[in-house]
Amino acid sequence: MPDNVRPQSGDSRRDLRGSYGPARHHLLTSLFGIEGLHTLSVYRDRGGYSSLRKAMFEMAPEDITAEVKASGLRGRGGAGFPTGTKWGFIPKGVPGPKYVVVNGDEAEPGTTKDRYIMENSPHMLLEGILIACYAIGAHQAWIYLRGEYDGPFGMLMAAIAELRAEGILGDRPLERDYPLDIQIYRGHGAYICGEETALLESLEGKRAQPRARPPFPAVKGAWGRPTLINNVETLSNVPWIVAHGGAEYAKFGLGTAKGTRLVSVSGNVQNPGVFEIELGTSFREVIMEMAGGPPPGRRMKAFWPGGCSAPVLPEWGLDVSTDLDEVARAGSMAGSGGVIVMDDSHCMVRAARRLLQFYAHESCGKCTPCRVGGNWALRTYDRVLEGQGSEVELGTFDAIQESLQNGRCLCALGDSAGFVIASTMKHFRSEYEEHCLEHRCSVEEQVVAASA
Amino acid sequence: MAALSEHAIEEIRALPPRFPHIRSAVLPALDVAQDELGYLTREAMTEVAELLDLDPGYVEGVATFYTLLHLEPIGKHHFYVCTNLSCDLRGAYEICDHIKRRIGVEGFGEVSADGLFSLEEVECLGACEFAPMMRYQRRYHYDLTPEKVDALIEAARQNGGDRAADSPRDAAAASQKPPGRRASSRGPTKEDSAELNA
Ligand SMILES: Cc1cc2nc3c(=O)[nH]c(=O)nc-3n(C[C@H](O)[C@H](O)[C@H](O)COP(=O)(O)O)c2cc1C
Ligand code: FES
Repeated sequence: MPDNVRPQSGDSRRDLRGSYGPARHHLLTSLFGIEGLHTLSVYRDRGGYSSLRKAMFEMAPEDITAEVKASGLRGRGGAGFPTGTKWGFIPKGVPGPKYVVVNGDEAEPGTTKDRYIMENSPHMLLEGILIACYAIGAHQAWIYLRGEYDGPFGMLMAAIAELRAEGILGDRPLERDYPLDIQIYRGHGAYICGEETALLESLEGKRAQPRARPPFPAVKGAWGRPTLINNVETLSNVPWIVAHGGAEYAKFGLGTAKGTRLVSVSGNVQNPGVFEIELGTSFREVIMEMAGGPPPGRRMKAFWPGGCSAPVLPEWGLDVSTDLDEVARAGSMAGSGGVIVMDDSHCMVRAARRLLQFYAHESCGKCTPCRVGGNWALRTYDRVLEGQGSEVELGTFDAIQESLQNGRCLCALGDSAGFVIASTMKHFRSEYEEHCLEHRCSVEEQVVAASA
Repeated sequence: MAALSEHAIEEIRALPPRFPHIRSAVLPALDVAQDELGYLTREAMTEVAELLDLDPGYVEGVATFYTLLHLEPIGKHHFYVCTNLSCDLRGAYEICDHIKRRIGVEGFGEVSADGLFSLEEVECLGACEFAPMMRYQRRYHYDLTPEKVDALIEAARQNGGDRAADSPRDAAAASQKPPGRRASSRGPTKEDSAELNA
């Protein structure tokens, strides 16, 4: 494996930014890299918490929601649902608690942006959370943080302690009678906990199995109360939107995809990392320029544009833009912004097998097509890769992918497993045929020949 | 005999008030038990159930669902190596093979004969740009090479006696510092954050 061009030690997050020229349209990450940004004092010196102040002193809650609507911001957790609209679903005037639950489970393979935000600027996220609380009339937020994120946990804990000490969290934040509190709940390792209703089950101390909807979390969420669930990156955009106005945010981006987003590029690229891009930037620019393209002497073969749950795209996908709708038109999904790049030294059938291992392991077991289909597909892949495939297996793959899709399950995990099989077969059918019918792998043969 | 120490029991008793509902304390309580015992024995789960007024079968059902809870013994030093696609494409399985040889196990989940080491294959840990990578001792280790892994194993052998607890502990506790009590107002220093990314 060629040596990574990215610096290897120390605070490589900062080096990443430096590795791709000057900031162009950086809304989220414009301060990243500043010494001590994770501390309250530096964050405040740079204008931090002035959006919270503005929101709580100069704006009515519905004005904040209106600005978020005007911004055109869409959820960055994967589904791309309009954020302001979601905030508007939270009932007003109901007695009893409401909650903001922050989805920090980040477990979609290829996705690392939420970690990047929390490690660089924990206060930006916390400020966004507090504004969201105020806008929907909640006093309590819960951050559901994946258990493996010990680093971000430490950063957030320190930041929350600072807020308590400074009276920004507590009974009278900023001297206003509007108690605010943020708690962190750490996950215990299960991909499905990123699905919002499974997350709520987990938060309530149960096996994380998705709920049937309706009722939607906005009406009956955490502990049976109205709950707003947003992704870490989604909420991190809120301070900027409040400071500059929704209309200003909407000037960035393309079509119905407004603003910027973080993409995390990994796999066979020379400069893997997290990059903030204006929506509409092409994948060619993201993969070939920012992330440095495949290692020398290699060709990009395929990439997953939005986490491994987004259908794979072959080389022509480079000319697709990151606009959410355009990715959808190309037959895939912008998803979580995790771009996984694979070069021509890797076998697609083998890659698909590894992803099916993931979906089979992470299926929560509630819905039959997903519970059975994932394992069945995995066993089929194993047989094929052991050289025991035939025409029958090609048909089996087809049957399984069909049965996993089209809303047969309570959540999208099953569909995603189906997408992997369907999209890799669609674009790389010849590799499946080689394995199933000829019991050989031309990719492996080439790699072996080249190293001989 | 009680499976858990007085101290652990006290910690578990303090958990429920942190949540709107007592049931939410079950996973943090299992963390306490696991960090004390290394893994969750049936007795420990039963005791957690009693402390939280839950059915033992329920608690076991929850425990079996989550990767970070162990129902079988693991090594005192447990490596969670990511083998999902981005790490796989950058040699994660070669790293796993190397670790297996060095600690003397045949497969994932097996504990080395001296009880010191075990290795687990896990799904994406959200740090793919640093692939191949792993979680060990509540810390991420990036851009793994055989040399880096050897150094970690060697260091572990040097002070082999101590178990490296790695539950996502203090689930709710940590953010519970009562308002007004001044914890450190200093966030992590640059060195700390560099450490986090070592
Ligand atoms: C299987 C599955 C896994 C998911 N994982 C995550 C995740 O790790 N993080 C996340 O924010 N959203 C995840 N989602 C999407 C959430 O269900 C939800 O749409 C999102 O948190 C809403 O926040 P947003 O509107 O701000 O994007 C997942 C969805 C599914 C079906
Ligand atoms: S694939 Fe290994 S950290 Fe994401």
